[in-house]
Amino acid sequence: MASAEELAVIEKAKVLMVGAGGIGCELLKTLALTGFKDIHLIDLDTIEVSNLNRQFLFRKQHVGQSKAKVAREAVLKFKPDLKIEAYHANVKNSDFNVDYFRQFNVVLNGLDNVDARRHVNRLCLAAGVPLVESGSTGYLGQVTVHVKDRTECYECQTKELPKTYPVCTITSTPSKPVHCIVWAKDLLFGKLFGDKNQSSDLVVHTTDQNTSAATEDAEFFNLKDGETFESYACRVFDGVFGHNIEVALKNEDTWRARKRPRPLHINEVCSDSKRMRIDTLTSTANGSSEHTVSAARMLGLNNHQEVWSLKENASVFLQALELFHATRKKEFGSLVFDKDDQLAVEFVTAAANLRASCFDIPMQSLFEAKGIAGNIVHAIATTNAIISGLIVLEAIKLLMDSLDDCRTTYCLEYPRRRMLLMPAELSGPKSSCYVCSQTPLCLEVNTSNTKLKDIVEKIVKGKLSVNSPIIMQGSYLIYETGEDLEEDMVARYNQNLEKCLDSFPTPIVDGSILLLEDLQQEFTCSLQIKHRETFDEEKEPDNMVLSGKFSTAARDQTSLGLVQPAVDNNPIQAIEDDDEVILVGDAAKSGIKRKSLEEDAVVSGKRQRTEAS
Amino acid sequence: MATGLAQARLAEERKSWRKSHPHGFVAKPEAQPDGSLNVMLWRCTIPGKEGTDWEGGSFPLSLQFSESYPTKPPVCAFPAGFFHPNVYQSGKVCLSIINEGDGWKPSISVKQILMGIQDLLDTPNPASPARHEAYLLFIKNKTAYKRKIVEQAKKYPSLP
Ligand SMILES: [Zn+2]
Repeated sequence: MASAEELAVIEKAKVLMVGAGGIGCELLKTLALTGFKDIHLIDLDTIEVSNLNRQFLFRKQHVGQSKAKVAREAVLKFKPDLKIEAYHANVKNSDFNVDYFRQFNVVLNGLDNVDARRHVNRLCLAAGVPLVESGSTGYLGQVTVHVKDRTECYECQTKELPKTYPVCTITSTPSKPVHCIVWAKDLLFGKLFGDKNQSSDLVVHTTDQNTSAATEDAEFFNLKDGETFESYACRVFDGVFGHNIEVALKNEDTWRARKRPRPLHINEVCSDSKRMRIDTLTSTANGSSEHTVSAARMLGLNNHQEVWSLKENASVFLQALELFHATRKKEFGSLVFDKDDQLAVEFVTAAANLRASCFDIPMQSLFEAKGIAGNIVHAIATTNAIISGLIVLEAIKLLMDSLDDCRTTYCLEYPRRRMLLMPAELSGPKSSCYVCSQTPLCLEVNTSNTKLKDIVEKIVKGKLSVNSPIIMQGSYLIYETGEDLEEDMVARYNQNLEKCLDSFPTPIVDGSILLLEDLQQEFTCSLQIKHRETFDEEKEPDNMVLSGKFSTAARDQTSLGLVQPAVDNNPIQAIEDDDEVILVGDAAKSGIKRKSLEEDAVVSGKRQRTEAS
Repeated sequence: MATGLAQARLAEERKSWRKSHPHGFVAKPEAQPDGSLNVMLWRCTIPGKEGTDWEGGSFPLSLQFSESYPTKPPVCAFPAGFFHPNVYQSGKVCLSIINEGDGWKPSISVKQILMGIQDLLDTPNPASPARHEAYLLFIKNKTAYKRKIVEQAKKYPSLP
């Protein structure tokens, strides 16, 4: 329970929650029960059936509705005096700008993707609002605290990104179940039911008349006139698992150091008479609706945890392909794999297993294949509940102004040092961090009547002494100078100089950030634009005001990846090796390292040297 | 919106390319109709090496970068149908230094990528064929392969 003192602060606090999913549902409930009264909630997702087992604020009748809005209503039912603003929107939407973030005492993340986390991190830094960041994967979870200039920001550490696989491995030389699943889901499924115009490298091409791959023909995957669903499905089977493998086998060099795959033909797997088959048309006519259609169920394969035999996989493949044609034809051309689409999961499981069998790779159960295909580690409600409890505890410490007591807490699957919740001290900001080590300069300007030229002359060259400026807005270079530029580029850039800030294709308006570089000097800074209508002619003759810390950092090459960075991929592992871990309740002194003054001096010194050269 | 790590690094790559680049190569962020350059998509041309069947050609290649660059490599592609044993029908290049989990390192520069691909033109890697038809011709019928390459080089003439 919170103390009276804490409760007073909690009741006055205004918090922003980003994400109303697995962690979000638990978090909103915990905030409400802890006594928080003023909560904003942003989530762009709608509720799906697969959410219902753990996102307990949602019920079946809410499927398809906004997570944020339904979560709000559900909590208001047991805490009607709460003020909850729910937005069914993307947090990256420009409505949620720096000024929006400034109104909160603390921001709490319950997000599921790195991209949105980075965005919130940057806005919190810009607005100077503390952030409690969280994440969970199965039994594992983590909660940490980010405060501008005092702790690491979310981007100080390089994050491990989800793995992608080289196309060659997927199309020619799979060696793991996941390679086959990616092949079935991204290549085969797309080729059969998705956008035909999307280029795909599934097809093996050859000019040799006698060995031309069956699937080379653009028409191969289409149902021919007069062809029955069954003979179509068998033809696709033989082409994809038989003929294409035979063609691939002709690349002798490929198999010199690898195990040669084995082609599969339908008649070898199960002869015509023994094929498990249920008449697609009659059984679908029996009232099963489109989205509950299941080839596996028709074939009596109801245990999703069991690995099907080769013959069963072949039967599911054929049956699913027939069912797609019989019941889902109108979606062809626009279907994308979705882990909640039962028939799609069955088809992908069977196709991946058949390919796995060709390459002598272990087959997977539908349940496992679905997990891999959807990149899912099955979420655990209890982990999310623990994580949201920890988020609220850290938030309270921040509100009580006790940053020194804040910790990063890891939630573990197996106890270490007899603990399942492992706390660690927060680290100070990394001076090499590209995101938080930069203090953006602020430029107040009237964005509707100031031209880019005015900024280049008065500020960039005049005040910041940049010789050959390069100006970038997001992913776009909007201005460069230099003798090496082609004439047509010079002409375009000269046109840009004459444009008013707010008339750029991506308008430069209040809250926009420009990145400024020098072609020759090692100079980089960002310029945050603040719109102001009028200026005092006498005191502000430039009609713009530049403010902010003036010493800009020479860019650290490590943070740009130019020097290979030492990546800390496994924070949990790192902790285990670290003897500095602090136990719960340990009244150790603050571990937060402040950015040293010497370091700042070195950085501005570099800049001076560059100028002098 | 905010300029991230990928954009900052690409600005750096652009700067270093402008300061110096190998002769005959072009690499430039795509020009937008409005007069800005998109640093996430580069339009490049690679000259065929002198003294090889590729000589005289200037081959267009696009580099598509993602927000995860430089942790992840760009997707490098010639026009669809480009004839080479290690280039897929879609034009995508199969080369270890631009394969994540293979030879890619965040420190590899745009310059190194382009020179690596120039090398690949005349020295295909038979161990990872991406296009069977080109691979077979290269293995079985060197004369016909050479003819196809010379023909293709004429299709992409160098600008004077
Ligand atoms: Zn940082």
